Amino acid sequence: MWKQIRDREEGKIRSESFAHRFKSNRIAQLQLSNYKDIVSPHKGAVNSLQIDLTEGRYLLSAASDASLAIYDVQRATDYESGGLISKHKCLFVVDKQHDFGHKYAISSAIWYPVDTGLFITGSYDHHIKVWDTNTTQVVMNFEMPGKVYRTAMSTLATSHMLIAAGTEDVQVRLCDIASGAFAHTLSGHRDGVMTVEWSTSSEWVLVTGGCDGAIRFWDIRRAGCFLVLNQSSTQLGRRPPILKCSMTTKSLVGQTLCTKPRAAQRKLSHGSGSRQLPIGRISAKVPMKQRLHPGMLSTQDRATAHYGAVTGLKVTEDGMYLLSAGSDSRLRLWDVESGCNTLVNFETVRLQTNKPIQLVTTQDSDRVFVPCMRSVKAFDMWSGNTCATFRGHYECVNSCCFSQQDQELYTGGNDRQILVWSPPRLIDDEANEGSMEDQDNWSS
Amino acid sequence: MSIWNYVVTAHKPTNVTHSCVGNFTSPQDLNLIIAKCTRIEIHLLTPQGLQPMLDVPIYGRIATVELFRPHGETQDFLFIATERYKFCVLQWDPETSELITRAMGDVSDRIGRPTDNGQIGIIDPDCRLIGLHLYDGLFKVIPFDNRGQLKEAFNIRLEELQVLDIKFLYGCPKPTIVVLYQDNKDARHVKTYEVALKDKDFVEGPWSQNNLDNGADLLIPVPPPLCGVLIIGEETIVYCSANAFKAIPIRPSITKAYGRIDPDGSRYLLGDHTGLLSLLVITHEKEKVTGLRIETLGETSIASTISYLDNAFVYIGSSCGDSQLIKLNLQPDAKGSYVEVLERYVNLGPIVDFCVVDLERQGQGQVVTCSGAYKDGSLRIVRNGIGINEQASVELQGIKGMWSLRSSTDDPFDTFLVVSFISETRILAMNLDDELEETEIEGFCSQVQTLFCHDAIHNQLVQVTSSTVRLVSSTTRELRHEWHAPSGYSVNVATANATQVLLATGGGHLVYLEIGDGILTEVKHARLEYEISSLDINPIGENPNYSHLAAVGMWTDISVRIFSLPDLNLITKEHLGGEIIPRSVLLCTFEGISYLLCALGDGHLINFLLNTSTGELSDRKKVSLGTQPITLRTFSSKNATHVFAASDRPTVIYSSNKKLLYSNVNLKEVSHMCPFNSAAFPDSLAIAKEGELTIGTIDDIQKLHIRSIPLGEQARRICHQEQSRTFAICCLKYNQTSADESEVHFVRLLDDQTFECISTYPLDTFEYGCSIISCSFSDDNNVYYCVGTAYVLPEENEPTKGRILVFVVEDGKLQLIAEKETKGAVYSLNAFNGKLLAAINQKIQLYKWMLRDDGTHELQSECGHHGHILALYVQTRGDFIIVGDLMKSISLLIYKHEEGAIEERARDYNANWMSAVEILDDDIYLGAENSFNLFTVRKNSEGATDEERGRLEVVGEYHLGEFINRFRHGSLVMRLPDSEVGQIPTVIFGTINGVIGVIASLPHEQYVFLEKLQSNLRKVIKGVGGLSHEQWRSFNNEKKTVDARNFLDGDLIESFLDLNRSKMDEISKAMGVSVEELCKRVEELTRLH
Repeated sequence: MWKQIRDREEGKIRSESFAHRFKSNRIAQLQLSNYKDIVSPHKGAVNSLQIDLTEGRYLLSAASDASLAIYDVQRATDYESGGLISKHKCLFVVDKQHDFGHKYAISSAIWYPVDTGLFITGSYDHHIKVWDTNTTQVVMNFEMPGKVYRTAMSTLATSHMLIAAGTEDVQVRLCDIASGAFAHTLSGHRDGVMTVEWSTSSEWVLVTGGCDGAIRFWDIRRAGCFLVLNQSSTQLGRRPPILKCSMTTKSLVGQTLCTKPRAAQRKLSHGSGSRQLPIGRISAKVPMKQRLHPGMLSTQDRATAHYGAVTGLKVTEDGMYLLSAGSDSRLRLWDVESGCNTLVNFETVRLQTNKPIQLVTTQDSDRVFVPCMRSVKAFDMWSGNTCATFRGHYECVNSCCFSQQDQELYTGGNDRQILVWSPPRLIDDEANEGSMEDQDNWSS
Repeated sequence: MSIWNYVVTAHKPTNVTHSCVGNFTSPQDLNLIIAKCTRIEIHLLTPQGLQPMLDVPIYGRIATVELFRPHGETQDFLFIATERYKFCVLQWDPETSELITRAMGDVSDRIGRPTDNGQIGIIDPDCRLIGLHLYDGLFKVIPFDNRGQLKEAFNIRLEELQVLDIKFLYGCPKPTIVVLYQDNKDARHVKTYEVALKDKDFVEGPWSQNNLDNGADLLIPVPPPLCGVLIIGEETIVYCSANAFKAIPIRPSITKAYGRIDPDGSRYLLGDHTGLLSLLVITHEKEKVTGLRIETLGETSIASTISYLDNAFVYIGSSCGDSQLIKLNLQPDAKGSYVEVLERYVNLGPIVDFCVVDLERQGQGQVVTCSGAYKDGSLRIVRNGIGINEQASVELQGIKGMWSLRSSTDDPFDTFLVVSFISETRILAMNLDDELEETEIEGFCSQVQTLFCHDAIHNQLVQVTSSTVRLVSSTTRELRHEWHAPSGYSVNVATANATQVLLATGGGHLVYLEIGDGILTEVKHARLEYEISSLDINPIGENPNYSHLAAVGMWTDISVRIFSLPDLNLITKEHLGGEIIPRSVLLCTFEGISYLLCALGDGHLINFLLNTSTGELSDRKKVSLGTQPITLRTFSSKNATHVFAASDRPTVIYSSNKKLLYSNVNLKEVSHMCPFNSAAFPDSLAIAKEGELTIGTIDDIQKLHIRSIPLGEQARRICHQEQSRTFAICCLKYNQTSADESEVHFVRLLDDQTFECISTYPLDTFEYGCSIISCSFSDDNNVYYCVGTAYVLPEENEPTKGRILVFVVEDGKLQLIAEKETKGAVYSLNAFNGKLLAAINQKIQLYKWMLRDDGTHELQSECGHHGHILALYVQTRGDFIIVGDLMKSISLLIYKHEEGAIEERARDYNANWMSAVEILDDDIYLGAENSFNLFTVRKNSEGATDEERGRLEVVGEYHLGEFINRFRHGSLVMRLPDSEVGQIPTVIFGTINGVIGVIASLPHEQYVFLEKLQSNLRKVIKGVGGLSHEQWRSFNNEKKTVDARNFLDGDLIESFLDLNRSKMDEISKAMGVSVEELCKRVEELTRLH
C-alpha cells in the first residue's frame, strides 16, 4: 500500500486506479470487524439492511418482530477496550408498540434515495409505510393486496418518486410518494413477486423476479414487460466470425515466448484481476434476434430464469449486468442489453428458498456477496469462483449490505444479530507499551 | 484567511503527456503538438529549431490527442478528448492564428464503469471513424460521413473487459481494430475485430494471437505496405499480421513510448522506463516481413511520448524529467551513444514535496521542490522575478544618469560608462586589469550634469548638457563640434541616437539636430504651447540609426505627442488624463510590434500600440509598476529587446506570445540603469541603486526563474533548517543494474547555498523515508531534524514497523541523537506544543521529549488517537490537529493538556480521498482530493446540537484538474507592506504535473467583484473546442458533481488583461466599471504570483 501511495504521489498510477486498487485490496481482506460492533435491538430475524445513499452514514435495519432501527455507522455511541472497539447503538428503534408500527414482520426497509429525511418499509401486514426520519412518524401508508416481500426506489429517478413493491400478489404495484396513490400495476407474473430492482442505467426500467421463476423487465412508461429472461438463451455465437479468418488463427501455446508469470510491477495483475468472461465463441449458425418486444410470443413470455422462485436480484452499478438468485440454489449472471445468460458458473451453494435474500455487489461489480444459509459468500463476478466465506451468524443470513464508502459489509440473520465485516485494523498497543516504558524508568 | 479563495497558476504544467507531428497550421508546415495535461502547445519546425506558435489552456484534463486528415483536406485536424468525456475537433485558422472548433460533443454514458487502464482514443487511418474506449466493456464509435463530418456516436459491446491497448490496423478494406487484453488467468492475447458500421456491431476480425508476453502492454500498428501490428512486451517484441509472425527477445524493459520514423513504418524509436532509447527495425523484402532487429541508441529523459520530427531530430516528452529535443547522429560519440541532446525543456513534475524558504533573506519567498523521478530526480529552486547576479560594485552617491559608450562605432563592446551627478560628470572605463577606473574624455564637459550621451556615427560621441551639445571623436576624444543653446535658454531634456539629437529647452522649444561627420546641424525648431517633460527618438524603423518619429511628453496638458522627423510635424496627440506628468517616454519594438511606453511620475506605465508608418496610437493600457517615478531604458539579452523600468519596484518589460509582460527584478530600488556590455563583463547591466553602482548580469527574462539541481536520484521529502542553514531531504536511488529493481534510501543534508550534499545517513534495507521536519522540543534549545520511516517488506501489505529518527546537525554532519520504533509507517510528522506529533498508519501519536538520567533524550509516547483508515496528512495549529485521511476526508482533533489526551472534535463525513490538507485559519481548512478537486471545510463551534458541532461543513468546492501533493503557507513574491496585495494571505501548492499554484484568501467585497468579473469573462472568453469553463471548474468525483463555489479561477480572471480593447469594453459595460479600473484590479492580483 505504501508503495502505491508513493506511486500516486509521483503520478505513476492514475489516481482513480489507485483508489480502485486500494478498495479492492481492502475488500479482499474483509473479516469480522475487530473494531466495530453494531448493537442490534431486534428480537426477531433481521430481514433487511440498507446504508443511506447520500452520506453512507446511517444504517437502516428491519426485523421479523416488526421493529426497525437506525444506526450511525460513522460515529460510535461509545467505545470499549480503551477506545479500540467502537459500539454503535441504534439512534432510535420503532417497534410494535409504536402508534404507527407494523403489526407483523417487516420484510423490507429502504432509504429514500435523495436524502435521509424519509424511509420506506414494507411488511407482512400488507402495508407499505413511508416514514419521516426526524419525527419517526408515518407520513404515508399504502395498503397492498398481500404480504409485502420487497420494495425498491430508483436511485436515478429525477422525474418520478415511485416505490415498486413485490408482494404475494401476481401484480407488481408502483406506489407514488408524490400523490400517495398507486401509479399503476404491472401484470405478467404468474405468482407472487419476491424481489424488485430498478435499473441503474435508466430510471424507467424495473426488473422483477417472481415465485414463478421468471425475471421480467418493464419499461414503466409502456404497457407490458419488454423482456423475459430465459435461462437457456446464451450469448454463444452472438457475433459470428467472418469466414476466411479462423484458419489464420494461431496459438503460441507451447512456444517459449510466454515466460513465467511475473506479478511484480504489472499494471493489471492486482487482486481483482480476472474479469474476462469465460465465454468461448466456438461456432455459430444463426445469429439470434436479441431484443424482445411487448406482445411477445407466448413461448417467450413463459420463459423462466430459474427453476422455482427468484429470490434475489441485483443490477450491477455499471448497469450492464444483472445477477439473480433462485430457490434452485443457482446464481445467474445476465447481460442486460441482450438478455442473455452469460453462463458464468457460480460455484454451487445452498440458498434459502422461502424468503427473499438481499444480494450486494461492490462498486466495481467485481465481487458479489450472497447470503448462503448461515454464511455469506463472496463470489468473483466474472469467474463465479468463491473468494471468501464469512461465517459468524448462528442461523440463516437474510440480508447484507455493503458500504461502498468504507468497504464494510453488514449482515443480518435469523439469529437477530447484525455483524460488521471490515478490513482488519492493526491493533497496536502502544499506549500500553508507553506505560511499560514508564515502568522501565521506574525500575532502572 | 477566509473562505473566499482565488486560485491561480504561478507555474504552468510542464509534464508532457502526449505529442504528435503533422501539417496542422498549413499544408507546408510541419508542426509538433504537445499536450501538457491541461494545455496544448503548437510548435512549428524551422531550421532554427522549434518555434512556439500557440499555447492555450484546455478546459479539461487531456486524455487523448490525435492528428488526422479527413478526405479532401490538405492539412491535419486535431482531435482532443478529455478525461471528463468531452471531445473536440480543432482546425487552425491561419488568419487569426487561433483554433477553430470543427466539432465537439460529450461521449459520456449512463452505463458502464470508467476504465481503469486509462482512456483510449484512436482514429482510423483511412478516416472512417473515431474509436474510443472509455468504459470497460464498451467501444464507442463516432463515424465520419463522406464529407468528413462526424455522425452520431454509438456503442459496441466489447467482451474483453481488461483491455490494455486498442489500435486501428492499416490497409484493411473495413475499419479493423486490434485489441490487446488480459484474461481471467492474467494471460495476454490480441484479437481483431472489424467494425460493421451499418450493423453497429463487431465482426470477428481476420486474425488473433493468444498467449503473448506477460508484460505486453503496447501495440504499434504498421502502415502499408507491410501492415500488421507490433506487440511490445517486456521480454519480447512480436510482429504479427494475418500472414506473418516474427518475434525477437529483448533485454527486459518496460517500453513507455514509441515514435515512428519512416512513413512506410519500417523503423521505430522505443523509449523505456530507464530512459534508454532503442531503434526497432522491421526487415522486409518488398512487402514480406523477414524479421525484426533492435539496437540501443543512447540515453534520454524517461520518455512519456516520442515524436520523430524530421532529419533525425526527435522530440522526447517526459513526465518525470525535462523534455528534450535530440538529434540522432549517424556515428556514436565517445560513450557509444547516438543521441545528442540539443535542447532541454524544463519540467518540474512530479512535484512530490516542496518547501518555501527565503534564502537571500530579502523577504522574497522561494520554492524548493522535489521534482522528477528515477534518474531524472532533482531539486528545483523556483523564484519569482528576475535576479541580478552582481559582478562588481562601487559606492557612488547621487547618480543622476548613466550611459555606456563605445570607443569606436564598430567596437562590439562598450568601453566607457558615463555617470552623471548633479554638478559633474564622471567617466569610468575598464582598465587592462579589468577593473573599473575613472578616466577622462577630453572633449566632454565634466563640470556639469550630463543630460544625455550616445554613440554617434563616424566614430563620434555626443554629450548633451544644459547649455551645449558636444560632438566628440571617440578615437581622439577631442571635441569636433559644439551646438550652443540660445542664450537665456537651457536644455531641460534631451535624447539622441546615432544620427539625431532632439532636445527641449525652457519655454516649450523643441530643437532637432542631425549629426554629420564632425558637424552638428540644427535642422528644425518648433515651439510647443507647454513645457516638455520627456523625449525619445529610439529608432524603431528599418534604419537602426535613424528615427522617423519622436515621442514627446508634455507638462500642463499631460499629453504624449508623436512628431515626425525631420520636419517636426505633430502627428498624434494623446491625453493621458490625471495630473501626473509623463516622466519618461520610450519608443520600442517587441516581437515585431511597435509600442510607445509612457511612464508617469507616480509609478504608472501607459502603453500604446504604435503604427510606425502613420504614427497613430491605439490600444492604450495602463499598469501600475510602483509608486515612484519610472525611468525607462532598453537593453537586450539573448538577442531580444527588453525594457528596464527603474523605480522603487524595478521591472523588466518584455513580450511573449505577442503580449507585454512585466516581471519584477529582485532588487529593492533602482534609480538608473544602462546596459554595459564590456569585454570583461559581457551582457551586463550597470545599475544605480541606494548609493551604489552595481554591474551585474541578468537572469533569463521570464517571470519565474527556475534553477535545477540534478541529484541523479529521487528526492521525496524536503525541509529547511534556518539555524544550520541546511536542507535535509529523504531520497532514494534506484539500482537498475541488477535484474530485480532495488532501491536504497537515504537522509541527506545539503548546504542551503551551494546545494552540495554535506552529510548522508543511509537507512536500513527496506526502510523508506516517509516524512521529515525540522523542529525543537520544550526544555531543549537545540533544533533537530526528525525523520519518519517505514519498513516496507515485500510480503507485507501494509508496513507494520517504522522508526522516528532524531538528528542534530553538528559540524555539518547529521548526528543521530535518538530513535524510536513505531508500529507502522510514519506518514507525517509535526512539531506540536514542544512535542512531536506523528501519524502512524491508522493512528495519531504524540511523543514527548524526555531527558534520561544519563543526560540523553528519548521520545516517549504520551497519547494517541485511533480511528483513521490511513492518517496520511496532518497539520496543526495551537492545540488543534487536522488529519487528512486516505479516504475519509478531513477530521479535526484537539489535544487536551490536562487530560493528556487527543479527542475527535469534528469530521467531514464526505468520502473524499485526500492528497493534501492545510489549515487556512482557526476555523477553515483546505483539502485536495484524489479526483483533482479542492474544497474547504469550516468548523462549526456554534452549532446548536452535538451533531452540528461534530460536523465540518463544506463551504467551498472547486475542480482544479491537478493532483496536489503538498500545500505550504507562503508567497512567491516580495511582500511590500504598502501594497494592498501584500496583506492577502496565500498558500502555495505543488502538483504532479509540475504546476505551482497560489491560493489567496480575498476579502469578501473583492471576491464578489471578481466573481462577477469571472462570470462576465465566461461569456466573452470561449474555451478551446467549445468546452465550458463552468463545467470544467465544477467539483466532480465519482459520487457527485456540483458547481464550484467560493473559489475563483484566477487564470481566467487574469486573462482579462490579454483581451483586446473591444472585448474589454464589453466587459466593462456589463460590469459598470471602467476598463482602467478593471485592469488595475486584475493587475494587482497578478502580483500575487
